[in-house]
Amino acid sequence: MKYDVMVVGSGIAGMESSIKLGDMGYKVLLVEKEASVGGRMILLSKVFPTLDCASCISGPKMSSTINHPNITTMTYSEVEGIRRAADGTFNATVKEKARYIDWNTCTGCQDCERACTVAVPDQFNAELVPRHAAYIAFPQAVPKKAVIERAGTSPCIDSCPAGIKAHGYVSLIRSGMFEEAFQLVLDATPLVGTLGRACYAPCETDCSRAKLEGTIPIRRLKRYVADKHYSEQDGPGITVAEPNGKSVAIVGSGPAGLTAAWQLARLGYQVRMFEAAARAGGFLRHAIPAYRLPHDVVEQDIANVTALGVEIVTSHPVRDLEALKNQGYDAVLVATGTPRSMALGVPGEDAAGVFTGLDFLRKVSLDELPDLTGRAVVVVGGGNVAMDAARTARRLGASEVRVAYRRGREEMPAHTAEIDEAEMEGVHFDYLVAPVNVVSDESGAVSGLRCQRMQLGEADASGRRRPEPILGSDFVIPCGAIVSAIGMEPDDRPFEAVTGVARGHRIKVDPITLQSDHPYLFAAGDVESGATDITRAIGHGRRAAYMIDNWLNDRPLDGFPLFDDPLGVVDRDEVLARQTRHTHRGPVRAHSVHSSAPTDFAEIEPPMTEEEALFGAGGCLDCGVCSECQECVKACPADSIKLDAKDALHEFEVGAVVISTGHKLFAADLKPEYGFGRYPNVITGMQMDRLLAPTRPFNTILRPGDGKVPDRIAYVSCTGSRDETTGNPLCSKFCCMYSIKQNQLIMGSLPLADVTMHYMDMRAAGKRYDEFYEQAKDMGATYIKGRVAKVTEKDNGDLILRYEDIENGGGIVEAEYDLVVLAVGIQPNREVERLFGGEPLGLDEYYYVAEPNAEIEPGQTDIPGVFVAGTAAGAKDIVDSILHAGAAVAQVAAHLTQSELAEVVPV
Amino acid sequence: MSTTPLREPREVIREEPLMHRPILLALSDGPLTIPEIAARIECPTEETVYWVMGMRRYGHLVELEEADDDGYFPYRAIDREVES
Repeated sequence: MKYDVMVVGSGIAGMESSIKLGDMGYKVLLVEKEASVGGRMILLSKVFPTLDCASCISGPKMSSTINHPNITTMTYSEVEGIRRAADGTFNATVKEKARYIDWNTCTGCQDCERACTVAVPDQFNAELVPRHAAYIAFPQAVPKKAVIERAGTSPCIDSCPAGIKAHGYVSLIRSGMFEEAFQLVLDATPLVGTLGRACYAPCETDCSRAKLEGTIPIRRLKRYVADKHYSEQDGPGITVAEPNGKSVAIVGSGPAGLTAAWQLARLGYQVRMFEAAARAGGFLRHAIPAYRLPHDVVEQDIANVTALGVEIVTSHPVRDLEALKNQGYDAVLVATGTPRSMALGVPGEDAAGVFTGLDFLRKVSLDELPDLTGRAVVVVGGGNVAMDAARTARRLGASEVRVAYRRGREEMPAHTAEIDEAEMEGVHFDYLVAPVNVVSDESGAVSGLRCQRMQLGEADASGRRRPEPILGSDFVIPCGAIVSAIGMEPDDRPFEAVTGVARGHRIKVDPITLQSDHPYLFAAGDVESGATDITRAIGHGRRAAYMIDNWLNDRPLDGFPLFDDPLGVVDRDEVLARQTRHTHRGPVRAHSVHSSAPTDFAEIEPPMTEEEALFGAGGCLDCGVCSECQECVKACPADSIKLDAKDALHEFEVGAVVISTGHKLFAADLKPEYGFGRYPNVITGMQMDRLLAPTRPFNTILRPGDGKVPDRIAYVSCTGSRDETTGNPLCSKFCCMYSIKQNQLIMGSLPLADVTMHYMDMRAAGKRYDEFYEQAKDMGATYIKGRVAKVTEKDNGDLILRYEDIENGGGIVEAEYDLVVLAVGIQPNREVERLFGGEPLGLDEYYYVAEPNAEIEPGQTDIPGVFVAGTAAGAKDIVDSILHAGAAVAQVAAHLTQSELAEVVPV
Repeated sequence: MSTTPLREPREVIREEPLMHRPILLALSDGPLTIPEIAARIECPTEETVYWVMGMRRYGHLVELEEADDDGYFPYRAIDREVES
């Protein structure tokens, strides 16, 4: 795409440049980083010296800019780079930032903004008030369209293999929207209560708050909303699609199968599940002990699925998938998990009293309790099943439980918390120990486990150091029972003749589509991946449902956007760097009580209180900014929310460039003696302009410390200007005048207020400027010449100014005010430095864009074809910015005309 | 006035959704000024200003027409149910 001119920045200088160039017939591309044109001027109350409404002047220009036939405006876009070509034109790369809202349908109703559950400082109100992550820049925005601020995917969401929007439900809980939080998890899986207890919470591992004092209790928050829902609501409380006339059979009712059934049933499929065991739930019901995951919680979660009409046929193992398909199902999903325990592979393991881990836990779950009273038990293995088996054995009265593991503690695959809790419950660990054979007594019952000591050698394919036996180190652990928990694998009998078998007895399917060579046949969960965990199985179940739905509707199976095309994760260090300091918040601990000799299967972890839930959620740092809570999606009447939108890069060829990127305001906290950032009633001039504007953030002029209408207001001029101590010796030119403007406006709004300005020199060198100053004095404003040395705060929030009173003897005086306004100056916008690659744009000694011949060629920079307009080149008031833009426009026109002539008459 | 250092605005503002419930609960007995709300919810007044103004912005509460003699506007909740 070609344009005659690209204008960077749509403040008053950028708009003026664009409109004038457009009026001259040039095709203009205007790039603005914010969601609205207008820059800073539209945010002002009024302009000096006329006291005209800033919006009344700026608004028509904003409208002209957007609607001009020769101007193409790209808002919410940033110039990535500009390169000068050999022919003197420029190639520009512009990033159009994802807005996450379709502007073609957005009506600007702000329903998304009101529904949003994330609050951030409003940059358009000088950070005096919150705005939401979904927002319209300001009331007069042009175009008046909403955007959603997203810094990336929050780490808690990114790390969840189930694709659960943890940040979303945390932000909903923070807002007191507990049922909405439950529904957000339910949107992913019916297993809300289960995950609230048995998930290993990778979200918490990756929580940015974990880098401070401790993670947000994300898992337990999920449990909180699940418990609350189940205690208060009857049924899942969702609506499902009308039946679509298609049916799906699901073999296996563990987390993958249940999740797939849930997703498919909601889409209108008739779903029937087949479960080999007498009860549904797979490992959730038969492997995870009730002290971690109570059976009634699993039943409640499963009831979500059956409430949608899903039929679960139990005690019904499926041996012939083809026959199942031939019963009339449109698709079949295999989700049978890893029901087989791997054998110890040592002599004597068929002795009485040797159990596999899964069989052991299954018997216990079915109340077929092995009698371990007074018997010593050895559990072989280092995974979570081994931990569950060991802790279960403790509850069955074993006199001693030892875990024998062939590597060390650091190498154990079990979750650290599981190991810790097993230790707390009196389980002993024998590390670097491997079984040699089972020792039996005369009756054929176990009497011990012969083991040998191991040592760690080089790392194996798993990255863990390989255990190697130490010769002659054999010893016997006396015991009355052995539980083998060294691994699990799928039962390949149902599918080996249909799809073939992959390594580890797993089913062969495409890892992305989860579809087998027989298109009707899909697989999900551990049967495809090998033993993993609940969240991965849930993620697989979601993927399988998505793929089955696509396949049955003739849509391509080219990826699951949720997992295959996510927004990049936000960097945790960048999240923490958004603040210079973070207040310590004590983590919400679980306060679980672990007995060293547990005797029952009562749930160990206590529930959170509502107070704990709110406090815990309240610490969320909103890493991705938008939490993905989906409330905007629900609120938008135009279905405009598109959270899967992506940034887009565009390439342009332009004949000339106008830099109108404006300025930064001086950071007032760099003058610590004035107390900005320490005393809430010390504000900046820009903040006061917002308080005076018709679209003000407060109901009137109030001091931010306590909401009081101020009676005594002081101005401190030259804050950060003409000040060598801050590295800025320059005068910012307009601070005196905007202060005088504000003085007059305050006296208009608060007739009883006393307004005093402490100044160094009054610089009112413009048309009618001095008269404007005199007018303020006539209205009653007081002007005191002399530098302010220090501001201190009283207990009631009032402020003491200590200053030199030059015109009254030069003494040091103190005066008390309700509110202090720092008339901050300007600083260069150094973002301009990254615009040009290869040939850097020249800057002056103060880092403003240099105009090498400013006196005779205003607006020209040191790159032919690149021009500057407005305060990007140095301090200017609005009038001078417009004049400067006019000069830049003339320079652009001359440059483009010369270029055209050069093409016609080659030199 | 709080004697502890000010928290950063970003941190305070982030808590605005969290503070809706206690503030609305505080207003359930009638309009209050910001210092009164701050006292009820036991939070610093300068932080309460952020939350009250955020709630005002998004239609959860509104000021009464007149400030009191000390220069403080009372705020009242708008048609919102408050869970106790």
